[in-house]
Amino acid sequence: MNPLVMQFKAAAEAAVATVEIIPADAHALCAAVLNAASGDGCIILSEPDDVDPDYFSEIRNASRVVTAPSNEQFKTALTGVTDAFCGIASTGSVCVTMSDHLTSPAGMLTRKHIVALMASAIVARPSDVFAEDTRGRSGSARSFSFITGPSATADMGPLVRGVHGPGAIHIIVLDDSAEEANDDAR
Amino acid sequence: MTHDEMKTLHPRDVANKAPKENLAKSIAMALEIETDAVRLNTQTFNTNRYRAVAKLADYEELKTRARRIKEESIEQLPELIAMLTKSVEARGGHVYLAKTKEEAAAYILNVCTTHRAKLVVKAKSITSEEIGLNEVLEGGGIEVAETDLAEFILQISKEQPSHIVAPAIHRSRERITKLFKEHFTTAEPLATGEELTEFARLILRQKFLSADVGISGANLIAADRGTLLLVESEGNIRLTTQLPAVHCAIAGVEKIIRSKKDFGTFIELLGASGTGQPLTSYTNVLEPPIAVPILNLNGRSDTRREFHLVLVDNGRMTMRGDADLREALYCIRCSACMNVCANFQAVGGHAFGGECYTGGIGGAWTAGTSGSIENARFAELCTGCTRCVPNCPVRIDIPRLNAVLKSRLIELSGGPSLQKLFFGNFAAVGAAASVMPTIVNRLGTLSVAREIMERTIGFDKRRAMPEFAARTLVSQYKAYRSSAEGTTRASDIRGSTGVTRSEQSHLPAEAGRVVLFADVYTNYNNPDVGMATIRVFDRLGIQLTLSRVMAEGRDAQSQGLIAQAAKRARSTAAYLDGLISEGADIIVAEPSVLALFRHDYMSLIGNDERFERLKAHCFDPIEYLERAVASKTIDIVQAFHSDAGAKRRIFFHGHCQMKTIGAGQSAPAFFRAIGFDVTVSVVECCGMAGSFGYKKAYYDLSKNIGRDLAKQIRACDEAGAEADILASGTSCREQIGAEFKGRTVVSPIEYLFALMK
Repeated sequence: MNPLVMQFKAAAEAAVATVEIIPADAHALCAAVLNAASGDGCIILSEPDDVDPDYFSEIRNASRVVTAPSNEQFKTALTGVTDAFCGIASTGSVCVTMSDHLTSPAGMLTRKHIVALMASAIVARPSDVFAEDTRGRSGSARSFSFITGPSATADMGPLVRGVHGPGAIHIIVLDDSAEEANDDAR
Repeated sequence: MTHDEMKTLHPRDVANKAPKENLAKSIAMALEIETDAVRLNTQTFNTNRYRAVAKLADYEELKTRARRIKEESIEQLPELIAMLTKSVEARGGHVYLAKTKEEAAAYILNVCTTHRAKLVVKAKSITSEEIGLNEVLEGGGIEVAETDLAEFILQISKEQPSHIVAPAIHRSRERITKLFKEHFTTAEPLATGEELTEFARLILRQKFLSADVGISGANLIAADRGTLLLVESEGNIRLTTQLPAVHCAIAGVEKIIRSKKDFGTFIELLGASGTGQPLTSYTNVLEPPIAVPILNLNGRSDTRREFHLVLVDNGRMTMRGDADLREALYCIRCSACMNVCANFQAVGGHAFGGECYTGGIGGAWTAGTSGSIENARFAELCTGCTRCVPNCPVRIDIPRLNAVLKSRLIELSGGPSLQKLFFGNFAAVGAAASVMPTIVNRLGTLSVAREIMERTIGFDKRRAMPEFAARTLVSQYKAYRSSAEGTTRASDIRGSTGVTRSEQSHLPAEAGRVVLFADVYTNYNNPDVGMATIRVFDRLGIQLTLSRVMAEGRDAQSQGLIAQAAKRARSTAAYLDGLISEGADIIVAEPSVLALFRHDYMSLIGNDERFERLKAHCFDPIEYLERAVASKTIDIVQAFHSDAGAKRRIFFHGHCQMKTIGAGQSAPAFFRAIGFDVTVSVVECCGMAGSFGYKKAYYDLSKNIGRDLAKQIRACDEAGAEADILASGTSCREQIGAEFKGRTVVSPIEYLFALMK
């Protein structure tokens, strides 16, 4: 496994995200998402921008999951699912694109944000995202957010999590180290 | 002011510090009402920052890089504005360069009315407060919803921001509950942070869902791709910039850097230096107009996204042309300089700040954007303690900026006040007083004399006057060197004022000599510290000779008398450089003078090479000994019994400026090495900061700051046997001594000398 993964997990947990590492397959991702989703209401699913859409094939068709929400669903959904194009080992951040998919509404209107991230997309530190070539992907030539833990404030006195953005973030790391090894062997 | 007046005073009434009395009133108000909340919040940020930057392995390199990028960007600003305009327009966005705040606000109002906006949601933007945007929009019949929770509070309380990152830092949870209960009709208890947050969230969520236009600021803008960096924790910036189809970003022109790839450097520094997090919850990198689908949850039928970037000059280009104020344009508004500042920790930005800019860096910003130096009067609250200097991620010398502002304020008022002349020429005062020290000291205890001093120069009569010694260091040194104990010749006095002119001109060019600098404070007020230094060094086999007595400029610098300070600095530096070129090291017993040599002289003497030599060859006495131990030049086991400190406890308070120049840890390390149990204070400054705490106007503030240190000393006492208190600064000893009457508070070197007897 990418040695940055464990560092990423520890840093994300320190930032009060939850992290699980699963095998990179559609069935495992579907199970993990449903397990992590809030108990009530629909789950807004955004098509992935960078993660292989095949991994989303099963969750896309799960019950409670909506891919074309109504206005009412946008306003009330408690859970949103997106992919991330990058993870940052030093800070535990995930980088989520502001794309023409539903990444933004799913990640900012809901109470819980579930993020799918490829293990191979984890880099050492924030500056690496701005390097010309982030592991062969389109890199940072886009609008995106580094998301580091749940939304939070100390403006009302004590630290409170869950303000305008989600109060919980769950990161599902898809361990693609076996595939990477195969790619390298080829 | 009476107690009731302070309670009913609205911070907004004293936001403008141009009238002198507003500064005094705002300090009294802040100490009465706001100090506990400000202290708790800033000190938490401060502790977290130290922890966060310690985790950045290349913190110093990041700072150097950030500084270089900002310097280059401001230098190339006109070119970058053109490049940025092209980048944004190429993507279909609009750029407007506003010369004045009126132009900026009018443009945004026009965008809003063009879209028939009834409601705009706004993310935190200090620049928008600077240009008075809300009033203009509201005047145009548009409702403005501040969505950052702190700004939401301020919009209700009608107060100005008290902190650059956390604008409502002056309000405790209890005072927010009270405010909300008065303002809203609700059955909710609103008795916890969670309840208050949820209450505000629900109100603001409705605003987000129905807003027509979103207005944000920007932390940085990259010219090469037209990219905005927006850092936040609450998620309101995301909603503001992504839900409505129309987005206006407003930013000062100084936010522009050349390249997006440099964002990485600033992202890491901002999070760590501000709230002390590796990264805040959301670091948004926007290249608008963004591709995010328009949901029209507001009932509109917008079909395409529209982006307006409003770049604000409003005095910034004038600042750019001002060799001093230009420095302020490098600021990335992280708030480290506020959180680390002892004065700010006690009063916050309602006293230490103006209409929108706060803290140490706020003076230059207020002066630059309002065009009035008088509005920056709160720069007087910068004591020059320099604790902000090593903590600024872009290496701005904020105390120097404030010294410049003070000097311009003096010019504006037609010349220095009696107070400034007194404190700023302490060297001359000392020389005069030392002619008849007993009479002067007696005056210092006479209530009539103290009353007069308080009224004329503002020297608070509750403070002990610094005493003038019966015999100066020079005179004691000469006697000592001609005694059997002193073991050497009087000709070793290096041109001190007590010797003849011919002796002064003849300096022995002997390599490897160590010279004690006879600063005016040590010479006239604290010769015992100087003599202890000489005797300790003698016993350890390092023979000190004494320099000439010179007014080195510390006194003038601290009062904003920069021209005088520079003059004194140049002649002192030339003299010391002469000694150093002969192979001498310089020992400086007074910490504020040592810090002057190793920090302030950089800008005062205008000679980088000379400054670097001084910096490398001037030492605190114990710092020098510690180095000698490390290089095995002296053997402390032989000089002190290895159990010299057994069963003895020391509470050590490090001088603020000593910490900044990196000499703060020497004394505790040395005493630990000879067996002492040493507790070190964790306050940034004792509250005196040299002359500051002696002034009547700042007495209460100074005492208030001193509470933290006193608390730590008491805690140390409770944890074991009563500790001996050591402090290297004269005024630190005054502050501690006043609180712990009957306890001896001595300098580390005197304490060391006592151990050797």
